[in-house]
Amino acid sequence: MNVIEIDRLTKYYGKARGIIDVSFNVEEGEIFGFIGPNGAGKSTTIRILLALIYPTGGNARIFGRDCIQDGADIRKDIGYLPSEVFYYENMKVIDLLKYSASFYAGTDLHRMHELAEIMDLELHRRIDDLSYGNKKKVGIVQGLLHNPRLIILDEPTGGLDPLMQHKFFQLIQEENRKGVTVLFSSHILSEVQKICTRVGIIKDGRMVRVEAIDTLEHDNYKKFKVDLDEPVPDHYFDLPGISDLKISEQTVSFIFKGDINHIIARLYPCQVANLLVEEPSLEEIFLHYYEKEA
Amino acid sequence: MNIYRQENRMNLPAMLYWTLGMLLGLLFFMLMFPAISKDAVVITEVTKQFPPAVIRALGLNTLDLSTVLGFYSYVFVFILLVGAIYALKSGISTLSEEIRAKTADFLVSKPVRRTEIAAAKALSVVTLILLQTIIYVPLAFVVTKLTTQQDFDGRIFLAINLTLMLLQLFFVALGLLLAVVIKRIRNVLSIALGTVFALWVVQMLNQTLADPALAYLTPFAYFDLAGIIASGGYQANYLVADIILIITFAALAGFIYQRQDMPSV
Repeated sequence: MNVIEIDRLTKYYGKARGIIDVSFNVEEGEIFGFIGPNGAGKSTTIRILLALIYPTGGNARIFGRDCIQDGADIRKDIGYLPSEVFYYENMKVIDLLKYSASFYAGTDLHRMHELAEIMDLELHRRIDDLSYGNKKKVGIVQGLLHNPRLIILDEPTGGLDPLMQHKFFQLIQEENRKGVTVLFSSHILSEVQKICTRVGIIKDGRMVRVEAIDTLEHDNYKKFKVDLDEPVPDHYFDLPGISDLKISEQTVSFIFKGDINHIIARLYPCQVANLLVEEPSLEEIFLHYYEKEA
Repeated sequence: MNIYRQENRMNLPAMLYWTLGMLLGLLFFMLMFPAISKDAVVITEVTKQFPPAVIRALGLNTLDLSTVLGFYSYVFVFILLVGAIYALKSGISTLSEEIRAKTADFLVSKPVRRTEIAAAKALSVVTLILLQTIIYVPLAFVVTKLTTQQDFDGRIFLAINLTLMLLQLFFVALGLLLAVVIKRIRNVLSIALGTVFALWVVQMLNQTLADPALAYLTPFAYFDLAGIIASGGYQANYLVADIILIITFAALAGFIYQRQDMPSV
């Protein structure tokens, strides 16, 4: 079952492009990574899901219901952590969290204290006095305290130190094990790689592809680094499927997508001094993908 | 309901400060009553030397400074201005709060309809205005009684003072509308000051020209204090205009707020 269904969603801000024809689904119980550089349209998509802004075209459904029409009802089961968290002046953390909880019927405050404990958040400080990272923690607790069925995270880790990031990921994974669906937007691929099951890549307002993270990591791509005993002839490695080709003297490196035997056949007549074949990081695949599309 | 409560809690202190300021201002002016009422004849003589246009613009032609209610009405104009600024500021502030403080992603992503948010916020502002009236009027009565030591018609006194609330409700509604129409509001008070004074200038012009049509352009003209002292009541056509504009502005504000994109940070 799909928790989120986005169909040809389009948003223009006046004439400025927000997103164009974005379509993808997020299945129940998965952690879906939503990746793209800044300004690609991640936040635009998310903000439409929450009816903070209205689409110019297409539609988005959550739990099978329209995000705009039934938004207020749907949002009972959504926890949202915005990319930048701002709260009312002169409020203490505890007041803000209680205010947030008051929007959800039957929220028990034990969960709030539990989450604050995990995230190491002091409840009686003024929000104005908190650092960026600590405000982010307020956002995390605020987004999770009502036990939502869908968690939407927009660049959630900014400002958190590595230890807190780790705790945060554990928290999200724990929720996920309970059956909570997560939409996780980020421009940092390694963190998406850590916890997501599928990723959608967005670029310049358009969905580039949606793929299982395993496919992206393992099935297609290999990173080669070859040291030869002689200078590499020009265009020797101009093969289909090769990208990010770098040749310096006797060393060649590239990312290859396709049947690995083609490369082996090509290397066979050469005097190979050293050969390294690796799984490329998602980052590398991603960069490569962007370059190709651009 | 929680939004309403939260808004009340956040804005109550400011309302109390404004009310205190209005009462202190009133006290300051009313303390001059004994001196001025004694020399009212002289003052009237002096002001008669002013050009007629100036006399009318200042409203000196209609109010008798030697009587308690005449003097109070003259002073009350300043209270009206301050009250109007407070009301307009509150109206603008409440619907632009999420945009100025960038809290839209917090509040609007909650399971509430936009219309509920707007209604709760507007209701909170109106509540505080009513509360202000309830605090201000009795205390103003006490101040007036103590400073003048004279008897005056309490019913007319109330009629004069209730114009403050009727005017404030207009400015609240106008503020709600401005909040959703003006893009990227930064400084609420400067917009409120500018708007109130602009409408006040129109009122001075209106008093000078005494054109009944022009009077519809500024809410300050809807309630003629000298007329209230004379007749004990409001002019129906302007009262209706006031109410229609309040409803129209508020409804329009709600309509636009409902359809607005919340700007991202």
